[in-house]
Order: sequence, then C-alpha cells, then structure tokens
Amino acid sequence: MFCDFLLALAFLTNFSLAVSGRINKVIQMAVFQGVLLGLMPIAMGLGRHFHILLMALAAIVVKGWLIPFLFRRAFKEAKIQREVDPYISYPASLILCALGTGLSLLMAQHLPLPPDTPHPLLLPASMATLFTGCLLLVSRKKAITQVVGYLVLENGIYLFGLLLVEEMPLLVETGILLDLFVGIFIMGIVIHHISAAFDSMDTHNLSKLKD
Amino acid sequence: MDLALILSAMGCWLAASVLALTRLPGGRLYIGLGLLGAGLALGGATHTLIHGQVSQMQFQFWGAAVCLELDALSAAFILPLQVVVGLGCVYASTYWPASTPRTGTFVRFFYALLATALTAVFICRQGMIFLVAWELMAISAFFLVGTEHERPEVRRSSWIYLVSTHTGTLCLIALVVLLFRHTGSLLWSGMPTPGTHANAGEIVILLVAILGFTFKAGAFPLHFWLPGAHAGAPSHISAVLSAVMLKSGVYGILRISSLLPPVPHLGGILMILGGITALYGVACALAQRDYKRLLAYSSVENIGIIFMGIGLGWTGRALGNPWLAALGFGGAILHVWNHAFFKSLLFFGAGSVLHATGTRELHALGGLGKRMPITTLAILPGVMAVSALPPFNGFVSEWFLYRGFFASLLHDSPWWAVLAIFALALTGGLAGVAFAKFFGFLFLGEPHSAAAEHAHDPGPSMWVPMAILGAICLFMSLGSPLLLPLLDRVVSVLAPGSPELLAAGLGRDLSFLSGMSILLIAMGAGAFLWLRRSHSVPERPGTWDCGYAAPTARMQYTADSFSDGWSALFPMVKTRVRRIRAIFPGRTTFHTGFQDAVGDAWLAPRIDRLATRLLRFRRLQRGYLSIYILYILIALVAVFLWMLVRRRLLG
Repeated sequence: MFCDFLLALAFLTNFSLAVSGRINKVIQMAVFQGVLLGLMPIAMGLGRHFHILLMALAAIVVKGWLIPFLFRRAFKEAKIQREVDPYISYPASLILCALGTGLSLLMAQHLPLPPDTPHPLLLPASMATLFTGCLLLVSRKKAITQVVGYLVLENGIYLFGLLLVEEMPLLVETGILLDLFVGIFIMGIVIHHISAAFDSMDTHNLSKLKD
Repeated sequence: MDLALILSAMGCWLAASVLALTRLPGGRLYIGLGLLGAGLALGGATHTLIHGQVSQMQFQFWGAAVCLELDALSAAFILPLQVVVGLGCVYASTYWPASTPRTGTFVRFFYALLATALTAVFICRQGMIFLVAWELMAISAFFLVGTEHERPEVRRSSWIYLVSTHTGTLCLIALVVLLFRHTGSLLWSGMPTPGTHANAGEIVILLVAILGFTFKAGAFPLHFWLPGAHAGAPSHISAVLSAVMLKSGVYGILRISSLLPPVPHLGGILMILGGITALYGVACALAQRDYKRLLAYSSVENIGIIFMGIGLGWTGRALGNPWLAALGFGGAILHVWNHAFFKSLLFFGAGSVLHATGTRELHALGGLGKRMPITTLAILPGVMAVSALPPFNGFVSEWFLYRGFFASLLHDSPWWAVLAIFALALTGGLAGVAFAKFFGFLFLGEPHSAAAEHAHDPGPSMWVPMAILGAICLFMSLGSPLLLPLLDRVVSVLAPGSPELLAAGLGRDLSFLSGMSILLIAMGAGAFLWLRRSHSVPERPGTWDCGYAAPTARMQYTADSFSDGWSALFPMVKTRVRRIRAIFPGRTTFHTGFQDAVGDAWLAPRIDRLATRLLRFRRLQRGYLSIYILYILIALVAVFLWMLVRRRLLG
C-alpha cells in the first residue's frame, strides 16, 4: 500500500518536473524523487536483505545529499534562476510527458515479466520516469537542467532494477550509482567550462564545436 | 634445427627494431643485428632447400594448437626475403640514416618489424597466428609507405594502401573461417588425397584465397594501390615491398592451394589473369615518367608472369601431368627469386639516382652514365634481367614458362596456352622497350636539368649491396643448373609425386644456356678489350650533337617522345593540346597525364560519388546533445512500439 503511494508520488513528480521552469525547483523535485525511490526497497519489504538495505541507504545518501551539494555549487556559479526558452515549451512538455506515461502503462502490460509480480505499478512508473528523463535531456537548453534530466533517467533505471533486485547482483547496483555520481561530477566540470567560455550555460553554444 | 635458425633470425630482427626504438646510438649494432638475422635465416632456408627436410614446432597458445613449420616452400620465400632485407639494411645506413630528422628512428623500427613479420608469415601454419603476422606486416608496411607523410600524394597513396590491404585481410579472415569449417582445425597442414578433385566448398575456399591474396600480390585489377605506395616509399622500402612483400600474396595462394585438391580449369583462368596483368603492367610501365612508378608497374608485370607460372602448375596438377606442374611451379618460384633480386637492385639504383639528384622525373635527368659510372654499371644487370635478356636470370625463368607452354601445346593444345605464349612474348618485348626508356633516359644522353648535372656516385654502403645483387642476377643465370634440385624440392611440396623431374628434364637445357651465356660474356669482354686497344678516341664529343652548331640538352629526345610510338597501347594516357590557330601563334601549352585504368579512371570517381552521397548523412550531425538523445529516444520508442505491433500482427 505504502509502496503504491510512493509510486504514485513518483508519477506526480514526473509531471511536476516536466512543467517547472525554475531551476531551483527542478533540482528539488529530482532530489525528492531520488529520496522517494531510495525508500522504495524498504517499502517493498526487502529490508531483510542486508545488502539491499545498504544499497538503499547509499542511494539516499548520494541522491539526497551528495548530488544536491554538487548541484548547489554549479548553481551558485551559473547565476541563473529559470530555464527561459526550452526547445519544447512547458505545456507541450506536459502533454508529451502525459503521453509517455500513457504509453508506458500500455507497454508495461506487454512486457514479458514474472506473472506474480507483487507491484504492478512498478514497471510503468519506471518507464514513465525513464521517458521523463529523456524528455528533459532533449527539450532543455541549459546544461544544468540537462543534468537533472540525466538524474531522472537514472531514477528510472534504479526503479527498473528494483523489479529484479533479488536476482541482480550488488555489483550492478553499485556500478549504476557510481556511474551516476561520476557523470554528474563531470557534468559539473563541463558546466563550469561552458559558463567560463561562453559566459552562459546554454548548450546551444556547444554546436560550434562540431566538425 | 632449421626452424630454430629462422626463429633466432626473427629474434635478431625484433631486437634490432627494439634497438631502433631506444634511440641509442647503435647504428653499427642495428646493421650487425640485421645482417646476423639475415645470415641465420639464410642458413636455415638454404639447408632446408638442399636437404628437403621439414622442421616443425607445435605448442599450445591460449588454448589453441599452434604450428610453425619450415618446409621447402617457406624456405623458397624466406631466401629472397632475407637477402633483400639484409642488403637493404646496409643500403639504408647511407640512404636513410638514423640521423634523418624525424623519420630516421621511425623507418628503422618499422623496417626491422616488417622483416620479422614477413618471416613469421612464411612459417606460421595456423590460421589465427597467420592473420596476426599478416596484419603486423601490413601495418608496418603502411607506416613505411607513409614515411614522407608531409607530401599529400604520399598520404593519399598510403591510405589507399591501408584500405585495400584491409579489404584483402577481410577476405583472408573469411578464408581462415572457411578452412576451419572445412578441416575442423585451425592448423594448415596435411595434403589432399591424390587423385581427387575439389568439391564446391573447396573451390569457394580457393577462390576466396585468390581474391584475398591477390589484393596483396597486386595482380590486375587489384593492383591500383601498388604504384603509388611503392613509388612513394623510400627506395630501400620500395625494394622490400616490391621484391618481397608482394610475394607474400603469391606464397599464400601457393600454400592454400597445396592444402586442397586441384581444381580443373582454374589454372587456365589464373593464366589468363596473369597474362592480362603482365601486359597491362608493362604497358603502364612504358607510359610512366616517374622512374619509381615505372619500376612499380614493372612489378605488376612480373606478378603477372608468376601467376602465369602458377596457372600452368595448377593445370598440370589438375591434368595429372607432373612435367607441366613441375615446369609451371618451378618457373613461378624461380621467377619469384629472380624478380626479388633484380627488382630490389633496380629500386636500390633508383634510390641512388634519387639520392644524387632529388627528382623522380625521367624528364629532368639524363647523362648520369658519365656522372655516376658505378651506379650505371651496377644497375645494368637489373635492367637486362627485367627485360629477360640473356645472360641474366630473368631469361631463365621465362625459359621455364616457354618450355611449359610448348609442352602443354604438345599434349592437348588448349587455346589458352597459345594466348599465354603470345602474352609472355609480348610482355618480354615491351619490358625491353620500357627499360630501354628507363636506362636510356636516366643514364645516357646529356643532362636535362641542373639536378642531373651535379650528380655523383653514392658511397660504398650503397653501391656494394647493388653490386652483390647484380652478381646474384648473373650467377642465377650461369649457375642455373645448380638451382634445379632446389626447385625440385619446392615443386614436390606443391605437386607431390613428381620427384626430380626438373633436374632430369631441364638439366641439359640449362647447362647449354649457361654455356652459351658464358661464351657470350667472354666474347663481349674480348670485343670490348680489343676495341679499346685498337681505337683510342682522343676526345669524346657530346652525345647529342646531331650536326647542330650550338645544340642544347633540351633538343634531345624526351622519354615521352620515346614511348609515343607505342601510345596505341595505352588509352590511359590523356593528352591535352591547345589548337594553334593564328598565323603567328602566341605561347601555347601541351599537357599529358597518366591515369590508371582501374584506380584513377574507374574506382576514384565512383568512390568520390559515394562520398558525396554519404555526405547527406552529415545533416544528422547537428552538434546538439539534445538532438542525439532524441535519436536514441526515438529509436527506443520505435522498438517498443514494434514489439507491441508485432504481437498484434503476428499473433
């Protein structure tokens, strides 16, 4: 029950991510979603496995504390408040996000899964989150919002991993988490260099680098 | 025992390449290691050829059985390889010394690596290891071809070489896989059961082998990479590439065919291919102005002659006629040796001329005979040999082939044998013309430019290797009866069951020929001495006086006007003349250019067109990360939707 509640919250965060233009809020939502999903294993009653507990703890620490810390640093540097002019406007993003969520509900029915899965919402939630992450990556111009998109994408992958958590070795989970951390760390450096070189955080400027 | 010698020779070459890399001032040590390696390998190869014993080594490597084997066929290819790389190493000490800015170390490293890899190619008898050695050879040759990469045409030809050698390797990978599926083992050993003919699978294997190895051997129409690559490399490298590396393709074809039963008619096809290659190569050689390109095209011609020999050998094998097989394979192997020696001699000579004058244009040279007498004298045997003139070695190997073709006429007179005789005769004649042009416009007449006027002979470390090669060319002709037992050993690998046919059947021929050659040389020397004694010309006039009061060197015949008489042979030469209209015409221009029929005229425009078409896909590259992620997203959603739809459509 609590589990379905968390998943519904995750759906709602997706919509909220798709429409919010304030960068501060987007980051907060993504971090909130991360912590939410970190609580999922406990809600699913997997607390008896020590390594899963450890994993969830690590996810909460990284997504709830380390990544926001890196974001705040990059944010301070960038001195911007809003994503003003995305490639896809906010209403259109919302509609796309809704379409994506619908599509994931549809697709989740057709995926070959173990028949007695206790949480039927888990798979559509993970796919909708993946889709929202991709949408953010595609539609936003500012480097920092794109990083948020990456973070949301990872949340989706994490959620998908929970489906198979009892079969999946610890190493894979740790790998994904490390990947995320390194990815955001590097993007922080990239953001720093974009804003130093172009005096803005617009990834639009990077198209000058193509050969 | 012999294999151990070869392996230690490879060790020497590898040590030499490492030494080149360390930048120690070990110039003498490098040459010493190279010569030691060459000597050891020559010892091993000669011993194997004389005694015909097979030495073998088997071991496990990464869980797969590996076999190294030295038999007469491998030894027959290692022999010229080591002579040429050993002498080339000495030659390079002056021609391309280690102190050459930027490329000195580089060339020495890859040269020694190429020598190691080539030796390995000839002894590896396991598919995977063979491919590794083959690639090592191809890559080190690529770096050597691109030595002077600051020149755009060298860069271009080295890329063309790289692409075509890798296309060939692709075929060879297919070949290794097919052979593995055919025999169930990666090892290349065992003989086909006598009396059987190839089935469809074996024919496919042989065709793939011919395709893959022909890319390396450079037979028509896969020769297009060769002239640019061989002309653009430093001359001692060109010598190794042209004299030995091309032969690795020949070796491969011979090796694979010796593992499989004979295929009827394939010999005739290969003979026709060889005839076309030889004629095409020599016609192109005749049309060249760059003397190194001329030599490179002449290599194409000689590969054609070797292919004709192999074709004859295969025909003999398929017909069950050991005498034809012996003549064909024997002639092919002997021509491999001969070509290795005279072509490396010619490239060394071309290198000396390039070293002295700095130009590769025949038009700018001339009159070097008086200025570089040692080079002229040393290169003359090579020129005579490549034109198949007695008393030099090129004549002897073509004699084998003529004997073989006439013998096959006597048996069942297939039409291709008649064609082959014509092709071989025409090739020999045209090669004579091409090399008259080469020799005449380099060494005779008066210098056309200042570059040729101040040329002088190179030091002994450059002319001694040339003199040694010239002596080998002469010896291979005069001592040819002594070579027959060695050739018999090689033939017995390629066509089992024909022991000692050459020694018995050709011994008298060759003894007669070498006797005549000795007589010819003695008469020539006698006439020369007698002429010098009786006529002493006090002052020699200029070569091209022609009765003019004040002749200039520019009035001489040019190389183009010399070969113009044969211009009907080459549609590849494009001439552009501006029409002269007025009564008192102004200044006008005349332009001729050479286009290779396959590489420049056919392949290049098609590749350009393909490249322009593929340029459309550049629109996909937008430079925005978002767009790229969008591509991924679209692909992902499309796959999912397909999954859904497929479920509905197909049930």
